Amino acid sequence: MEEKQQTKPNPRDVGPRKALGSLHQRIKEARVLMVGAGGIGCELLKNLVLTGFGEIHIVDLDTIDLSNLNRQFLFGMQHIKKSKAMVAKETAGKFNPNVKLHAHHANIKDAEFNIKWYKGFNLVFNALDNLDARRHVNKMCLAADVPLVESGTTGFNGQVQVIKKGVTECYDCTPKPVPKSFPVCTIRSTPSQPIHCIVWAKSYLFTEIFGTSEDDSPEFDHTKDAENAQEIEALRRESQELKKIREQIGTDSFARSIFEKVFTRDIQRLCGMEDMWKRRKAPTALDYDTVETAAKGIPGHTANMDQKIWSLEENFVVFVDSLQRLSKRVQELHAEDGDKSILSFDKDDVDTLDFVAAAANLRSHVFGIELKSKFDIKQMAGNIIPAIATTNAITAGVCVLQAFKVLRQDLSSAQMVFLSRSSERVFSTEKLSAPNLSCDVCGVARATVEVDLSRATLDDLIEGYLKKGLGYGDEISILTDQLLYDPDFDDNVGNEFTSMGVEEGTFITVMDDNEEEGENGEILQPRVNLVLAVVNKEIEEDQDPIVPPEEGMVIPRKVKQVEAAPAPQEAHGAAAGAGMKRMHEDMADSNCGAKKRKLDDATAELSIKDGRRGKGKMEVVEVDDSGVIEID
Amino acid sequence: MVVPTATAPLPAGPLTVPEMDAITADEVAIYDRQIRLWGMEAQARMRNSKILLIGMRAIANEIAKNLALAGIGSLTVLDPEVVTEDDLASQFFIQEEHIGMNRAEAAAPSIRKLNPRVTIHTDTDSPSSKPPTFFSQFDITIATELDLDALISINTSCRQCSRPFYSAASYGLYGYIFADLISHTFVIERDKSNIETRLAPETQTRKVISCRTKKEGDKVVEFVTKEEKYSSLADTVNCPIDPTWRPRKRRTVPAALPCIKALWEFIRTSPTHNYPTFSRTDLATFTRLATEAVANLDLPADMLKASFISTFVEGCTSELVPVAAILGGVLAQDVINVLGKREQPLQNFLVFDGEVNAGPVLSLHPEGIAKEENGNGNRAKNGEIETSTAEVVSLD
Repeated sequence: MEEKQQTKPNPRDVGPRKALGSLHQRIKEARVLMVGAGGIGCELLKNLVLTGFGEIHIVDLDTIDLSNLNRQFLFGMQHIKKSKAMVAKETAGKFNPNVKLHAHHANIKDAEFNIKWYKGFNLVFNALDNLDARRHVNKMCLAADVPLVESGTTGFNGQVQVIKKGVTECYDCTPKPVPKSFPVCTIRSTPSQPIHCIVWAKSYLFTEIFGTSEDDSPEFDHTKDAENAQEIEALRRESQELKKIREQIGTDSFARSIFEKVFTRDIQRLCGMEDMWKRRKAPTALDYDTVETAAKGIPGHTANMDQKIWSLEENFVVFVDSLQRLSKRVQELHAEDGDKSILSFDKDDVDTLDFVAAAANLRSHVFGIELKSKFDIKQMAGNIIPAIATTNAITAGVCVLQAFKVLRQDLSSAQMVFLSRSSERVFSTEKLSAPNLSCDVCGVARATVEVDLSRATLDDLIEGYLKKGLGYGDEISILTDQLLYDPDFDDNVGNEFTSMGVEEGTFITVMDDNEEEGENGEILQPRVNLVLAVVNKEIEEDQDPIVPPEEGMVIPRKVKQVEAAPAPQEAHGAAAGAGMKRMHEDMADSNCGAKKRKLDDATAELSIKDGRRGKGKMEVVEVDDSGVIEID
Repeated sequence: MVVPTATAPLPAGPLTVPEMDAITADEVAIYDRQIRLWGMEAQARMRNSKILLIGMRAIANEIAKNLALAGIGSLTVLDPEVVTEDDLASQFFIQEEHIGMNRAEAAAPSIRKLNPRVTIHTDTDSPSSKPPTFFSQFDITIATELDLDALISINTSCRQCSRPFYSAASYGLYGYIFADLISHTFVIERDKSNIETRLAPETQTRKVISCRTKKEGDKVVEFVTKEEKYSSLADTVNCPIDPTWRPRKRRTVPAALPCIKALWEFIRTSPTHNYPTFSRTDLATFTRLATEAVANLDLPADMLKASFISTFVEGCTSELVPVAAILGGVLAQDVINVLGKREQPLQNFLVFDGEVNAGPVLSLHPEGIAKEENGNGNRAKNGEIETSTAEVVSLD
């Protein structure tokens, strides 16, 4: 085959071979995985296919939506609701018939995509839109020791990072901020910004009327509940009253009942809490009849004017109208399944969006807060991040150029690349940082453990594998996504793994808390965390149900540290919106964004050196259509 | 979570798009994610724009894709040549069955499919056959993968009718973008800082011409109108690097820049007007030209390594898709910004080095542009750009 090409080269190979030399052959032989076929993914797949990567696997669980079409160019109107992975494969396949494409319309976290499967790739590309999946692929690539090209975009900003186990920082070496949450009292009693009223409408009012209880919402921060016990108790009563009104769904008086509950009586109660309004402007309760009279003649299709900021009366009309639409839907569902169905908020479900927009604005009116258009409320309620084709195209181009360096096994020249908004340059680049020694994800020992899941118990792991096999002492904790064992909690010891939810592909973390004395009397630090990936294996009855660790396997000790401090508070507190905003301000019209980042990095490096967790680097994470944006 | 900066409406008044041109609900739905970035007015301006794209190769594929997706009014694709096997390696609008067809006509149906709202025209004439008036029908002309003489001729025509001009090409892992917007006014939206924005020159080509503030909630947002003056490609091509640059900064200029200039000169002066081959004579000629380019640019003589020259020459005829994606992405985004009259545009020569991922934007101008700008400002006037500039100025 090779010889044949020498005599009459494939015209598709001529250009790349001239520009890339021997690298081109490696590209043709490369087997790569692309996770995500959205904004970056469509652009990346085009690049990979035309550059001639030998075999490409595409994983995406999403389906195509109208709002994707402004940038995800492998998709057209006729593909709406179809699988992104499948359509991407079909469209991009035509760009180059020599490339082998495989599409998986599936969740990358599914068990079929196990470590063995990852090991089959030379390189993995993340083209994802959420933190959770990014973290998962990062972890899997570390476990399988496959290099990862991580990328993300937000509006005009984009970044690409090469990750290689033991050589570079991993995705989790720098702390990622958690999604923004609000104290319950801010949302329920003392809102001061439009977002407070939007969260109230979406995560409290909507869910209490049409969904399950609001207590589950991650947007509520309960840490200050204790300080405000009295108010929390009052709020709980209010919620229960609202739940009762829910039973009136479908009756003529339903809209009035809800309205008078949340915009009249609840507000009047709040007004009575005089202490609360000493330094704030007190709310003004609304009167249903007054607003209804003033709203006479406003048509129901007001809701279609999504750019306009609706008046109090217009909001009232949309509130009543959307409540009726939703009530009808719920009743129809209940007729089928006997009152089981619930509705959940979806920014693309017009009825739910109309209701949330109108209810949020009515509450804003009550509290004297600026009203917002439905267009803006959709963005805030749905955590929509602006996304454009050009940024994705540029970023995906950079991903491939970085992949070239990985395939050349020249990681020292690989970079962290940021799209720059400076007038002097289009990119700013940095050398890849070394792994953060105290990273919870890559600063750990990893191993695969073969377990006969039909009979192995936790005790087999503790006594056999850990103590006998690896020399662990008594002071250990074992956890999956839940705690399985620690010295004060041994209830599970006799239980089989399967009863604790451990299956093929589960990661078990073993934490060592033992400081022990070495042979020469020196103090040995505890071992680094050990992460065991479970592989199911049938084992003969007469043998231990867990294959013992390989001979000579030693779990390294932690480096003596001043204190492995938790991530700094500001990383968690950074409001998603505020962070994003800050970034735009920093980067617009100058390169001070880049300067600021450099500064942060310097801090990070310093901190790592003295053993403490550094301050976070600016991070861009594309959140295309769901989830939250994380920028620090 | 929210980007209020971008969607905050610019003030009403002359800026408001006429009703007939307003964006429809369908368009809002499709363009939702980008309107949230650059706002409704910019989207409406883009929708009414006419763009000419010359030369349908890898970079042009990317530009056409990006502009069509963004929702410009019409795109005219001009290319007199036919599709060859080589084109298939770096283009995604065409396939085997298009070999032998005109390049513009072969690509057009696929571009149309990307966004049926955008009108796609094709033109199979040679760009050199077009009279200067031809270019006046387009808001912006983009010329890709042309030789220097052709670029200068088109640029000159565009200047005669006061139309912005871009050119770009990729040479293996390297490439460039050049912009001549003649004179361009744009608005930067930012939080008001403690330091007062002065109505004064910021660089030799850029000055702040007006500034307006608006209170948004707790903070004050500033709309700063700036103007950039440009030089023609003919004037730029012989310019040295900014004389104020210190030697250290000069060393950051990619060696690709003198090589690109050498390549232009090689093609211009070679009897067949062809790219250099990897032959000893061609390499020697090319090296001489590149060394001259280094001297003309006033760059350190030792920045040019023989190994780099041979890498550049060997790869210069190939088009790499990731490189085209980057250059086509940057160029299209700049066109979008210019149409929307937002953001700082490229000023005026981007050199791209895909080996180290560097993309410095060099401001190359003949001496005295600053003087000219303040003096006889007759470089561009009465054009549409100037007219719409007036609208922005009236913001103040």
